[in-house]
Formats: sequence, C-alpha cells, structure tokens
Amino acid sequence: MAARKENKVISAAQAVAMIRDGDTIAIQGMGTQMSPLALVREIIRAGKRDLKAAMVVGGIGLDWLIAAGCVSKVMAIIVNLDEFGMANAFRRAVEAGQVTMEEYTEHQMFTRFSAGAYGLPFMVTQSGLGSAVVDLHPDTTKVIECPFTGQKVIACRALVPDVCILHAHRADALGNVQFFPKPIWGDVDVFPRASNKVIVTVEEIVDTEEIRRTPERTGLPYFKVDAVVHVPYGAHPCSLFPNYNFDRCVMEHYAAESRTQEGAKVFLEKYVLGPKNQAEYLQAVGGAEALLRIKSFWS
Amino acid sequence: MGKVSQDYTIDELMVVTLAHAFTDDDIMLNGTVSYIPVSAFMLARETHAPKMTWVAGAVGVDADPGYIIGNTLDPTMWKNCVMYLPQLGDMWGYVHRNTLEIFCIRGAQIDQYGNVNNSIIGKDYHKPKVRLPGSAGMGDMCTLHKRIYIWSTTHNPRTFVEKVDFLAAPGYLSGGDARAKLGLRNGPEIVVTDLCVMDFEPTSKRMRLKSVHHGVTPKEVQQETGFELLIPADVPETPGPSVEEVELLRKKIDPKNMRKLEFRGSKTKV
Repeated sequence: MAARKENKVISAAQAVAMIRDGDTIAIQGMGTQMSPLALVREIIRAGKRDLKAAMVVGGIGLDWLIAAGCVSKVMAIIVNLDEFGMANAFRRAVEAGQVTMEEYTEHQMFTRFSAGAYGLPFMVTQSGLGSAVVDLHPDTTKVIECPFTGQKVIACRALVPDVCILHAHRADALGNVQFFPKPIWGDVDVFPRASNKVIVTVEEIVDTEEIRRTPERTGLPYFKVDAVVHVPYGAHPCSLFPNYNFDRCVMEHYAAESRTQEGAKVFLEKYVLGPKNQAEYLQAVGGAEALLRIKSFWS
Repeated sequence: MGKVSQDYTIDELMVVTLAHAFTDDDIMLNGTVSYIPVSAFMLARETHAPKMTWVAGAVGVDADPGYIIGNTLDPTMWKNCVMYLPQLGDMWGYVHRNTLEIFCIRGAQIDQYGNVNNSIIGKDYHKPKVRLPGSAGMGDMCTLHKRIYIWSTTHNPRTFVEKVDFLAAPGYLSGGDARAKLGLRNGPEIVVTDLCVMDFEPTSKRMRLKSVHHGVTPKEVQQETGFELLIPADVPETPGPSVEEVELLRKKIDPKNMRKLEFRGSKTKV
C-alpha cells in the first residue's frame, strides 16, 4: 500500500490500528530529541501488548510504554532519560524479569537495521569484538572470519521491524517526508528503510508543490511511507530541532514521579491516558505556557 | 601556562588534566552527559590546542556553541559547525577507519585493566540486581581501536572493582597482551578521578597511580580502590590549573556550571 502515490493522511488512532500486539516496532529517538511521542501516547491509550521495541537510545517514550505494560522486549544500546537520570520503569521491569533487555553496541544495532534495509541476511561490523555484549544473543550476533583476510568480524543478523514510527518536520499528503537538517541521526536514516510499515507524524502538512521546490530536504520518499499523521508538537516533551526545545519541566517531573511504580502510574493517568488526543495532552502539560517554555534553545 | 590557581575545585582540576592530554592533531568526539570531557575539549581549543577538532555530539563538525548550553548530545551544541555529520555512513565510517581515534568514557564499574561496565550490577546479566542504562557507544569505541580516556567522579571501591560484573567495554581485558591478541589496537590511556590520575603499566597493563590531587595521599587512593593499585615510590601531585584556565572555564566555557552536575552521588564536593 505504501508504493501508491495517494493521500495517506489518517488520524493517530487509525495509524495505531496498523500496529498489532506482538509486533516488533522501531521507534525513533534520542534521550531528549526527535521521538514520535504523540504516537507513543496513542499506542498506550490503545492498550497494545507484547511489543518488541527496537531503538538505538531508549528514552522517556520507551519508559512510558514499559510503565504502561505495552512492551515485553527492548533492543537498544542504552535506555535512560539523558541528563534527567535513570529510566526507572525500564530498570524496575528488567530487574523484575517482566521485560527482556537485548543490549547491543550502537554499530551492531545499526548493522542489524542496515542488513534489514538492504534485504541481506546479515552484515558485518567490528564493533563489540572482545565485549561480552556479543555473547548475549548468539542468534543475532556472531563472531566470524573474513573469507579474504581471516580477520575476525561480527555478523549481525538482519532486523526487519513490522512497523517503524517517526516524527518529522513536515510531509505532503503522499508521504514525502522532510527533515531539517536532512537525516543525520542513524535511526531516521535506516529505521524506516528496514521496516515493513512506516508511520510518520509531522508538525506540518505541505503541498506536494512545496516538496518539489525543496527536494534536497526530503529524507524519505512517499513509496516507503504508509501513513502520515498531522500532530503539531508531536515530539513533546522531547525536542524537534530547530522547531522547539525539549520540555525540562515535564522531563524533570516524570523523572521524579517515576522513582516509584505508583508515581509513574499517576503520571501516565494524568498526562497520557487521561487526555484523549494531542490537544488535551498539550493542555494537561500547561497549554500555552508549555509552548512558551520550549520556544527557545538558547537560554 | 601562567600562575597556578589558588582556588580551583576538583571538577576544574579534572577538566584541565584531561585537556592537557589532547593536542592540535586530535579529533574529539563526545557522547551523552559528558560535561567534563566537553569542557576539556573546549578549554584545550581555547588554550594550547587551537587547531584541535571537536565533533560536537558526534554530529557538529568543529562546532562552537560558545558555552555549554545543555546536554552534551543536544543540538544546541552543534552551533556554528561546518557540517552536520551523518551518523550512519559518515560518523561510523570515520570511527571504523580510525580517522576518529579518541573517546572519553565513564561507567558504574571500572576494573584494574580499564574494563568498564555500565550495563548491570549482579552475577547474572539476565537477572540483574541493578539494571543500569547500558553500554551505549562505549562498547563500540573500546573495541574499535580508540585511545580511551576514562573519567570518574566517584573514586571508591564500588566504582573501582576487582572485576567488572559485565564486560561491556573492553580495556586491556585480562591484562598483558590479551587486548592486542584479539587484534584490538590502542586502549585506555589514563583515568582521571576526583582523587587522582592513573595510567597503565606498559607490560602488565595494570592500573598505576600517576599523580594525586592536592591533599590526597597514595594510601587514601588505595583505600578507595577495590583492587591493588600499582604505586610507584614517588607519586607527584597533579599539577594545578592556571588562573587563566580556571577563568576561561568559569566565565566563558561553562558559566552555567553544567560540569558540576557530574558530581551528583560523589563524596567530593564541588
């Protein structure tokens, strides 16, 4: 369905219906940056279960998903709240044996996605040779020898997620997705290309004519995109550089509340499960005041 | 170098000590929550190494944000750069080719051979007593032939352990030529902590005391270290920063004192 040059704009609820329980889901994001958090909130409201989250850096969105009981397995290199400290729901869930953490080095993770994006069974990296990380998952990383030089390298098995979710600056209705600057983060680059279905939320929907005027900004063409959802401030409380900063107030609040399971639950009730949509969410986190908080990067 | 500062704090001493380790020929990269190394890169560029390159947050080539605005991985740090380095093809390519050859790391556990763990505490990885964030870029950089600079604001027996619970980021592995045998070049160079500076004895690759910070004795360092440290007969004091370096750090590079955030949970007061 992605290949068609047709209108792909749907609602967040419709987009989330494309995700099935048990799916492997690639989620874009850094600790405080560029993550499709409006869609994450919608996934939590839809009560999805047994998701396998594939990320590079797991942040607040992943911690919410875990606190809400949506995730059974995490594939990532690190999970934390960046300068705001530990991802406590993640920590508790792994310690209690409720969630499995499949840890990789960063380039092993990217190599798994790259093999998926190329349709190859595996690709190789040197990253992690001598690290115990390699031995954690013999079914996905294995030390092999280069057939030409005998040099030891690590074969990383292709990862093909069922769904990829992304948040971007803008797109047209067909699904030509533009970023500013053009993809520099590896997840924006390779996650959608490796995945079977791609859902993109955007700050703004523009005419295809505008895309044709600025093709150098397009990071993902319409033929790889299944759904476009219009969600202004869709990365909140993370940042979308250079549009808006992360919301220190919400990040700090969640970091403090989530120190207990009860606190995390109360937070989710108030800010994720309570609000029915993005507008109600933005209202809950402070309305116009919240938008003013994230207006500047340079303070 | 100028007059030695009389009122420096340990965070400033750590930054300056790290800064002195880098030269005009180096290309620096940084990861998340790395205020001390980033302060060191910016300081080195302002003082003895003006031709040094810093790729801010592994993205902003030769960035100049002016001062440390927020997290060291934040896009604000890319300000005034000459290029946004695409991560997948470019950055990881330069890292594999060793064009980018240096990385600074820290972790919850560090052992006598410079192996570092930030993944789990406990005997069984799959049933951890404490689940830590994960090894992130450390697992990559320590296995991709980098010269590694370790920093720690918590020099105590919980951090400096006999053996790491999980070997995520290999230093010299079991010591001697164990690392070289695997085909891994370079490795840990120095360890800068809130008490002292350490390096690695060239043959055994065991951690060795290099200098102690003002007011700290070698005996105290050993008491705070969970393994037997190599201690030479003569251990000098870590050279203090100059008045100029301290001024630059406080007024220009890090006026918001972000570097002091790294001392949450440390016995050392800054």
